[in-house]
Amino acid sequence: MTFLLVIIFGLMFVYALYFAAQTARLGSKPGDFLNAGMALPSWSVMFLLPAIGVAALGLERQLLLVTRYGLQASHVAIGLVTVAVAGVLIWNRLWVATRLASLRTPGEALGRYYDSIALRVIMLGLCVLFALPYSAHILSQAAQLLETATGGTISRSMAVWMCAITLAIPAIIGGWRGTILVLAMQALFLAVLLPGIMLFGEVVLGGDMFPTSPMPTADGIFWDRIPGVLQAYGGVGKNVPTGGIFTTIAISSTAISLVGIMCSPATLYLGQTTKNGKAFAVGGVWLTGGLAAGLLLLVLPVVAARMPDGLAGYANVLADIVPLAGVAVILLGVVGSLLAVSFFVTGGTLILFSELVHTYLFPKLSPAKQRFGARVGLGIAFFFLGLMAAFMPFVSAVFASVALPLALQLLPAIVGFGFMRWISRGAVLAGIVLGSLMVIFTEPLGLILFEGLFVELPWGRWPLTIHSAGWGLTLNLLIVFLSSMVTLKGPDRYQRDRFHNEMAAHPPTSMGRQGLLWALAILWGFLAYGPGAVLGNFFFSDPIFTDLKAMLGVPSLWVWQSLFWLLGVVLVWWVAYSAGFGHTHVSERKPIRLGLPDSTRTPDWIKSGLKRVVNRNGGDEIEGDPLAAPVRVLRSDLETRQPRVKPGRGKIKSRK
Amino acid sequence: MTPRRPVKIAVSDLTTSVQRLDRHALIMAIWTPALFAAAVLFHAGYLYENNWWFVSSFGALIIAFCGHVIANAVLRTGFTAGETALGSTLLVAATLAFLVMILVAPDELVSRLQLPIGLGLGVLVLVVAISMLISFGPRRSFEKFDVVRDNNLRAASRLPHRGGRR
Repeated sequence: MTFLLVIIFGLMFVYALYFAAQTARLGSKPGDFLNAGMALPSWSVMFLLPAIGVAALGLERQLLLVTRYGLQASHVAIGLVTVAVAGVLIWNRLWVATRLASLRTPGEALGRYYDSIALRVIMLGLCVLFALPYSAHILSQAAQLLETATGGTISRSMAVWMCAITLAIPAIIGGWRGTILVLAMQALFLAVLLPGIMLFGEVVLGGDMFPTSPMPTADGIFWDRIPGVLQAYGGVGKNVPTGGIFTTIAISSTAISLVGIMCSPATLYLGQTTKNGKAFAVGGVWLTGGLAAGLLLLVLPVVAARMPDGLAGYANVLADIVPLAGVAVILLGVVGSLLAVSFFVTGGTLILFSELVHTYLFPKLSPAKQRFGARVGLGIAFFFLGLMAAFMPFVSAVFASVALPLALQLLPAIVGFGFMRWISRGAVLAGIVLGSLMVIFTEPLGLILFEGLFVELPWGRWPLTIHSAGWGLTLNLLIVFLSSMVTLKGPDRYQRDRFHNEMAAHPPTSMGRQGLLWALAILWGFLAYGPGAVLGNFFFSDPIFTDLKAMLGVPSLWVWQSLFWLLGVVLVWWVAYSAGFGHTHVSERKPIRLGLPDSTRTPDWIKSGLKRVVNRNGGDEIEGDPLAAPVRVLRSDLETRQPRVKPGRGKIKSRK
Repeated sequence: MTPRRPVKIAVSDLTTSVQRLDRHALIMAIWTPALFAAAVLFHAGYLYENNWWFVSSFGALIIAFCGHVIANAVLRTGFTAGETALGSTLLVAATLAFLVMILVAPDELVSRLQLPIGLGLGVLVLVVAISMLISFGPRRSFEKFDVVRDNNLRAASRLPHRGGRR
C-alpha cells in the first residue's frame, strides 16, 4: 500500500504544480497573485465551502468521536447547516461591502468600519493562529496517520516535511487562484471518497453492522441517545459524564463553534475574492447544508461502526481485499487535512502580507514587488508550519484548540458590520477581550498555564459539557449588548450609519420576511440541536401519543437527525434563495470611502523601528533632519554627531 | 452632427485566458475523482470476478462525462479541440488494449473480461453519441464526422452564398 500511496500523492503534487504553473503563465497583473483579481470562479468557492466546514469538524477526529460515542457525537454534524446559514449571510454582506468601499482584506473591512487598529491586530493574530498552530496540528495528525498506514516506512517527521514542501511549491508559484483551483478539486475528491468508501466497505465486508446492529462503543456510553440536556460535569480531566459528553448543550455549543471557521480570516477572504454569481447559494444550500451535512449524518456513522481501530486499521482491512481501496481510506483522512492546511496557510499569509507588510511596513511596494514579497512570505510560512508540526506537536495542539472558539468571538463584530449598526467599537472590543479570556480558561491553553503557575482550578475543559466557544460567545454577546446600549449615540455612529445606509441600497430581503425567518431558525435550532433534541431519543421508537412501539429498525435519534437535517436544508434555502442572500451582483452605485484615506506613508513608530534594524537610508535623513536625531542608528559617526541647531535658538531676546 | 460610432469593447485575451483556465480546472476537478473511483472499481472487478464492479467502474466514467456536459451547458461552452482529441485517443487506446488482451491473454481471463469490458467500452461510445444527438441534433452530429463535406479548405467556402460549408 505504501508504494501506491506515494504514487497517488505524487500525482496530486503534479496536479497542483500543473495548475500553479498554468495560473502563473496567465500573464495577469502581479497584484492578482494576492487576491486572484477579486474574481475567483464561483464553482471553486461553491465546492470549497462544504470542505471548509468539514475541516472545522475534522474528518478523522469526527470519525474517532463517532466510533467512541456513537450517534450523540454524530449529531454535531447538524452544525454544518448553521455553518451554511452563517456562510451565506456573512459572505454576502462582506462581498457587497468589499465592492462598495474598496476593501481588500477582512481586517481592513472590520478595521475601517469600526475605525479600530486593534481589530486589525486581532485579525492578524487570528491569521497567525490558523496558519501556524492550527494548521500544524492538522498536518501533524495527517503525518501520524501516514506513518501508521505505511507501517513506519514514512516517518511522521518525514511525512510532515514532504507535505509542507509539496503544498508550499504550488502555493508559491500559483498564488491564491492556483491554490483555490487545486483545493476545489480536492474538495470534490472528498465528496466522492466518503460515500464511496462506505458503499465499498458494506459490499465487500458484509456482516451485521450499524444501523441494523448497535455501534460498538464502550460500556456506559449511550450510543443511540443524547445523554440529557446538561450535566453537572466539571470538565475533561475532572470527572466522567454519565452516558457520554454530548449533551444537547454540548452539541449546540460545539455546532455553534463550527461557525468560527466562517469567521476565520482566510474563509472571509475567500468570500471577498469571489466573482459575483450564485456561488454562495449553491455552495451553502446544496453542497454544505445538503451534501456535506447529509454525508456526515447518514454515512459517517456507518463507516465509523466499521473502524474501531481507526482509519489506518480500516485501510489495512480494505487493502487486503483491494489495495487501491485501502489507499482511498488513507486519502480520506489525509486529503481533508492537507486541504485545510493549504487553505489556511496560503490565505493567512497573503492576508498577513497585505495587512501588515504592504499596509504598514512597505506601503510603496510596486505590484511586482508585492508578488515577490508574498512568495517569500509563503515560503517562510510553510517552513515554520513544518517546523511546528514536526517538532512541536503538543504546543500546536494546545494552541489549535483555541483557534475556532477565538475566531467565533469575532461574530458580534461581523454581525455589527453586516446587519446591526448599533453595535459599537468599544462594545465589540470589550466583548472580544472578555470572551477570549473565557475561551482560554475553558481550554487547555489557559488551564495548563494557570494551573502550572498558580493553583489548580476547580473546572476542566468544557465544564458543564459546554464547549469553550459557547462560554466565550455567551459572555461576549452579553457584554456587546450591554455596552452597545449605553453607546447608542456615540461619536462614531455617523460613519456606521453612512455605511449601512449605502449597504441598504443592496437589500437582499424585506424586514417582514426576516422576522419570520429568524423565528423559524430559532425554533429549528431548538429542536435540531438545542434542548429539544432530547425528544429525538425515543420520539420515533416510543411515540408519546400511543402505547404502541414503532419497529423502525434504526435508532429513533438517527431518524430525528435526518428529519432536522432536511428541514435545515429548507432553512438555508430560504436564507439563500428566497431572502436572496445567496446571490451577488455587480452594483452600479458610486463607491464610498470608509475611514481615513489610504496612507502611502509608513507610521512613524514602525519607520523608526525599521531604521533601528536596517538603516535603509544610510543615515542621510537623520543628518538633515534634527527631529530624527533621537533615533539610534548603527553607525558610530552618526552616534556622535550633534544635531544642527540654529545659533541663538531658544534664547530670550532683550527688548530695545 | 455626425452620429457617434458605437464603442467596441474588446474582450481581452487575459480575461479569456483566465476564463479558459477556470473552465479547465473545473473539468479536471470533475474527471480526477471519477478516474480514481473508476480505477478502484475496475481493480476490484479484476480481482473479484464480479461484473457489477465493472458496471460501477464504467458508471463512474459516464457520471464524469455527464458532469462535463453539464459544466459545458452551465458555462455555455463546448468540448474543446484538446478535450475531443484526448477523449478520442484514450477511447481508441482502450479499445486497442482490449483487442490485444483478447488476442494474447489466457482463455480463462478473456472469457471473464470480454463481455463486461467490451460492453463498457460500447456503452461509452453510445453515451457520447447520445450526448451529441441531444446537443446538436442528428444532422449536425453527422456533419461532425462528415469529412467529405468538409474537404474545401478555402476560406471563401465558408461564405453563406457559397454554401456556407464548415
